[in-house]
Amino acid sequence: MPKYLETTVDKFTFKVATDRLYSAEGVWAHELDGRVRIGLTDYVQQRSGDVAFAEAKPLGTAVAVDEEVGSIETVKANISVGAPLAGMVAEVNPLLETAPETINADPYGAGWLAVIAPEDWATDRTRLLDPAAYFAIMQQQAEKEAQG
Amino acid sequence: MSDQPHKVVIVPCSGIGKTYGTVSREAAYDLVEDLRPETTGLVGLPLLVLGDEDARATVAACPAVTIDGCKLACATKMVAQSGGRVAHSVAVLDVYRRHRDLKPQGIADLNEGGRQLAHALAQELADIVDTLNSKSSPDASAPEGGPDA
Repeated sequence: MPKYLETTVDKFTFKVATDRLYSAEGVWAHELDGRVRIGLTDYVQQRSGDVAFAEAKPLGTAVAVDEEVGSIETVKANISVGAPLAGMVAEVNPLLETAPETINADPYGAGWLAVIAPEDWATDRTRLLDPAAYFAIMQQQAEKEAQG
Repeated sequence: MSDQPHKVVIVPCSGIGKTYGTVSREAAYDLVEDLRPETTGLVGLPLLVLGDEDARATVAACPAVTIDGCKLACATKMVAQSGGRVAHSVAVLDVYRRHRDLKPQGIADLNEGGRQLAHALAQELADIVDTLNSKSSPDASAPEGGPDA
């Protein structure tokens, strides 16, 4: 179970898991045994609302950093998910098709999007944010949003 | 004898400024005013929130069908808290997942997709209402070959 950094803004509490890295856009990347699992942060899923549909690029698709690796349709918006690293889609979460609401229910766990076989993780990881850095950005965005 | 017990109460989401809340209310109006005016009645969720006695009495006396606009499921929770029986609950998002071509947009005025989605939802609920009424109707428990045979 990951530990979390937490902040409450207005009536919402947002969590940032401390065991992974982040893009500034709120996509997390968690390396395990040479492959990198990716997903949306708690802040992004809460801000975006209930997920209606979620898709990831098919297995074997090569993606560059920031290139679309998936798309999410929520009750509020259509979100293009940019890849936080370059590589090839090695696994897609089957729950995206059968239970996309899992992204809302468990964004850092069962609600993951895809697993990427990285091209150059050692380099790509240096461009990502550590949990504290993403937490600061997220908190700023959440407070700005709460102020309207 | 009042015919009230044979009515099904429809309680839609009260979310103002929310597209899915608007779909829930459009579906409720479609159902109550056009599709099943004789066998359904509408109770506004705000009345239950405010503790209106008539509204509470109605949901206590009749089976309720709730239409929730989001996962907070306020309509379903409020009927239960008001002493009512939720005979069936539906979330607009689940209906949209079955009708992806009908993407609802707009708030005060729904787009065509939203109106069609509301109608599709109302039609689904009309079938549910018919089923509920057939179960609660005195005829349903009568032996075959009863008075209407």
